[in-house]
Amino acid sequence: MSDKITAKDLRKVRYRWLFFGEASWNYEKMQGLGYCYSMIPVLKKLYPDKEDMKVALKTHTQFYNCHQEFTEIILGVDVAMEEKNGIKSMEAVSAVKTGLMGPLAGIGDTLFGVIANTIIFSIGSYMALQGNPLGILINLIWAAFRIVLRGWFIKAGYREGTKIVTSMGVAINRITEAASVLGLTVVGALIPTVVRANIPLVFESGEVTMELQGVIDQVMPALIPVLLVALVYWLLGRKKMSSSKAILIVIAISLVLGGFGILG
Amino acid sequence: MQIALWQIVALTLYAFLAINDIIHADVGLNRPLFAGFFAGLVMGDIGLGLAIGATLQLMVLGVGTYGGASMPDFMSAALIGTALSVIANEGMEFGIGLAVPVGMLLIQLDVFARFINTFIQHRADTYAKRCEIKKIERIHLLGLLTWGLSRALPVAICLIFGNEITQTLINIMPEWLMSGLKVAGGLLPAVGIAILLRYLPTKKYIAYMLLGFLLAAYLEIPMLGVAIAGVAFAVLVFERSGKQAAASGSLVNEGGMDEDE
Repeated sequence: MSDKITAKDLRKVRYRWLFFGEASWNYEKMQGLGYCYSMIPVLKKLYPDKEDMKVALKTHTQFYNCHQEFTEIILGVDVAMEEKNGIKSMEAVSAVKTGLMGPLAGIGDTLFGVIANTIIFSIGSYMALQGNPLGILINLIWAAFRIVLRGWFIKAGYREGTKIVTSMGVAINRITEAASVLGLTVVGALIPTVVRANIPLVFESGEVTMELQGVIDQVMPALIPVLLVALVYWLLGRKKMSSSKAILIVIAISLVLGGFGILG
Repeated sequence: MQIALWQIVALTLYAFLAINDIIHADVGLNRPLFAGFFAGLVMGDIGLGLAIGATLQLMVLGVGTYGGASMPDFMSAALIGTALSVIANEGMEFGIGLAVPVGMLLIQLDVFARFINTFIQHRADTYAKRCEIKKIERIHLLGLLTWGLSRALPVAICLIFGNEITQTLINIMPEWLMSGLKVAGGLLPAVGIAILLRYLPTKKYIAYMLLGFLLAAYLEIPMLGVAIAGVAFAVLVFERSGKQAAASGSLVNEGGMDEDE
């Protein structure tokens, strides 16, 4: 191991990616330029020769797109490879970047994007609807944890190289499964608490009045929210259905039912 | 009430920062919940901001811009919806009714920003050929401006013309529309939940969803309590999968001796 790259260099790469990595995200090469921008401190150190530098810049401005929080792993692996083999490593570096970005994006989007956000913002929104802003604090703690974790990612990638992915793979699968269970439990609780549908209709026959909502509640609490979620779930499974269209459909249903006073 | 200049400036700056936050460190500024809270704070009605922010948040719980897809911009929408509701002296129905279409229209500006950045990429490719490192760095950072303005401009415009917009809306909005929007505010979180159920392994683990429902709907346990039960289920699943991994490992070894693993 050469001692060309220091912990400080690694930190420079990390903070460039953490604060400015996706500034130039575009449809053509997505995070390509941002990846190059983040690597520049290391490239400057490794390639004093201008021709080498040109090759390196060209390699690193190519197409790249991954989950923003798992990119640190790839950056770490990349720095280690280039430190070891210099400009000769360029082809291998490209292969590793494209090889890792797909699987890591999948893991990152599922674990952080879908599951973690579900859990945190379900709780946060539920509290907010009751007038309590503390849910925001929960997310701030989670955000701080992720920033620390990303620092660990880049160091681990640098230290362990490509074998980090196989060693992390099994553990991450297990964590994802377990987190999905937590996510689904919270979502199950979300249905009766945040979807609000009240039926104000009251039937009168002589002396007897009957509130329709009370009758429905006796069948099952939150029956209408459950049916509505099931309906939208089914809709989303149909071809040519997008979440935006589903939103418009629910608004249309609301306007009709609200306008006629069936829901209120 | 009239919106003050400092309020317009604060909310516009927030929008500029928030979009640049979510694509980087992601401390949460771009989440509708945060934006609603901040707008409520600035406009002097935190409860209203939280209610609008949370309702919009619930519509996009697990939705992200995976692979460069665009999603409704409910961050800007939460700022605009909350501010204009306060100006108009109306409740959260008004704010949500306004925010949802605004958020969906603003998808176009997200697409536009990502498209504009293609020119930045082209310039940078040219600089890379000439080995002009300083220029590559500078043009890359210019993208912060594209992103920021794609959110700050619509927010600023909607707030500057806030008084006129709300007056017009109140004049043309019939009663049935307002009561319909109120219903929509209650029903729309169902969309976010359904989207999530499409992303999560719902069929495999539906038992846990039913348990969550049972705890909240019948036993009326508050959300944090349900989350604790969820953590317990998660730990059990995690341990079980560990045992399975160990068991299949010992099968391969044809041993059964390594029980203590």
